[in-house]
Amino acid sequence: MNKVILSMANLANIQQQFMDLLQNKPNDLIKHIAKQGELKASERLSIYQNAYTIRLTGVLEQDHEQLGKYLGDTLFDKMVAGYLKCYPSQNTSLREYGDNLPVFLSKTPPFKQHVILADIAFFERLLLKAFDAKEAETLTSQILESLKETDWPLLVLNLHPSVHLISFETSAVESFQALKNDKTPPSANTNKIRHWLIWRTPDKRTEYRSIDQEEFILLNLIKEKKNFSALCQSLTKAHKPETIAPLLINYINVWLSQGLLIKHT
Amino acid sequence: MHPFLGFGLGLRSSHFEEIITTKPDIDWFEIISENYMVEGGKPWYYLEKIRADYPIVMHGVSMSIGSVEPLNLQYLDKLKQLAHKVEPKWISDHLCFTSVGGINSHDLLPMPYTQEALTHLSARITQVQEYLGREMIFENVSSYLTYKESQMPEWIFLAELSKSTGCKFLMDVNNVYVSARNHDFDPMEYLNAIPHTSIAQIHLAGHQDFGTHVIDTHDEDVPNPVWDLFRQYATSLGPTSTMIERDGNIPPLSSLLNELSYAKSLVGDIWFNEQGNIKHG
Ligand SMILES: [Fe+2]
Repeated sequence: MNKVILSMANLANIQQQFMDLLQNKPNDLIKHIAKQGELKASERLSIYQNAYTIRLTGVLEQDHEQLGKYLGDTLFDKMVAGYLKCYPSQNTSLREYGDNLPVFLSKTPPFKQHVILADIAFFERLLLKAFDAKEAETLTSQILESLKETDWPLLVLNLHPSVHLISFETSAVESFQALKNDKTPPSANTNKIRHWLIWRTPDKRTEYRSIDQEEFILLNLIKEKKNFSALCQSLTKAHKPETIAPLLINYINVWLSQGLLIKHT
Repeated sequence: MHPFLGFGLGLRSSHFEEIITTKPDIDWFEIISENYMVEGGKPWYYLEKIRADYPIVMHGVSMSIGSVEPLNLQYLDKLKQLAHKVEPKWISDHLCFTSVGGINSHDLLPMPYTQEALTHLSARITQVQEYLGREMIFENVSSYLTYKESQMPEWIFLAELSKSTGCKFLMDVNNVYVSARNHDFDPMEYLNAIPHTSIAQIHLAGHQDFGTHVIDTHDEDVPNPVWDLFRQYATSLGPTSTMIERDGNIPPLSSLLNELSYAKSLVGDIWFNEQGNIKHG
């Protein structure tokens, strides 16, 4: 074992030094670089350092386009520099690289003073998650129509794996929407909780829409695998008993048409 | 051992729709493995359709075969699952290290060309091939530096590796050109030193020329020096699956098809007879 470790000394050392160089940590990789031609050793190392920064910055820019517009170039660069330092990539795929950005923004000054920043970042990450989510066969109205009346109370509906439900106290989504259309975002704080539904449509587009408290509760109950009678129960306070089942069927028809429900998994 | 698939392209998402609707005359596609290590969505939707009509090969960037840290079995499992679904003609990655201590550089970092690295790589290649239960192909990377520790030129290193493991190579002709300029060696000496029987595939790509050095950006058309090198190499190499690899500044598909026709025309008289069949011997 000792022999193996010893024989790896040079290779291991070079690799560690290289990673330290990329992360701007103290290192002496330059001592290992041969002098060649016109280009200085330090310039040769800079090529790798720049490529590392440019690549990871590019990922965050691409994944968080509207956040970038919200922050403006100077603050976005500051955010990227801080994030690269705190969160080097732990994944073989760059798709996950920005996963910790909402946490970073909610903990790091000056960003943490503005809750909307972490909210926009989180919303943009959910859009990405919905885009890559697992495939599932959508439920059809024919299947539901074929159910016996006695099957309905115990019926458990299933949400598509791309579905995300999220609430914000800030105008994160409205701001995202405004920036996407090159408009000025509204004021950050709404003093009101807003609920959102994010999903991937059957034709593979990522969609989102605002949902009210009632639909938000219903979809969360479905997510918790509650059955049809539990869904009805949640509507008893606000609606007359005879209107509840038709109302719920209405909701279900909308969800079916939007590809939010899938066959039993 | 590695069939001649003809002339292919790297599959890029901006061309998905055009490929499934127009079914262009492309012999095969190479996918970036990591882009399909997701559960579902658009890339999968299109790949399923495209692979019904075209042979596919898989090209990875994160195996980190040269790294001294333990093999990333989680990654290898994903690669195995992907290969099971995609059924590629072969799988390739790069002769380099990409991660250290669990941190990913997402760059193809050069190995020192030492006996130590050779021993290490040989063992790792064997280990990976056993784990995956199939042969791997490794691509030469472009580099901008030479370690003082290096004991042999890159081409001797590759030739030795081929001897010790029998592994096959994906020869990126642009990378050879880029490194030749950056380290002032003769690219043909490099290409001729590596047994031609060990070459499974060729990449052609572009770069940025800064005069004092060249950076392998893969975001430009294939430039003349790379075409020249390819043609010269093809003379002795024989028919080998060849593709244009474009990673950035992705042009319309038609522009890549033009480059591909040009590649074909460059080697047409060398690799094929008048009937358009592969020349043998
Ligand atoms: Fe390549």
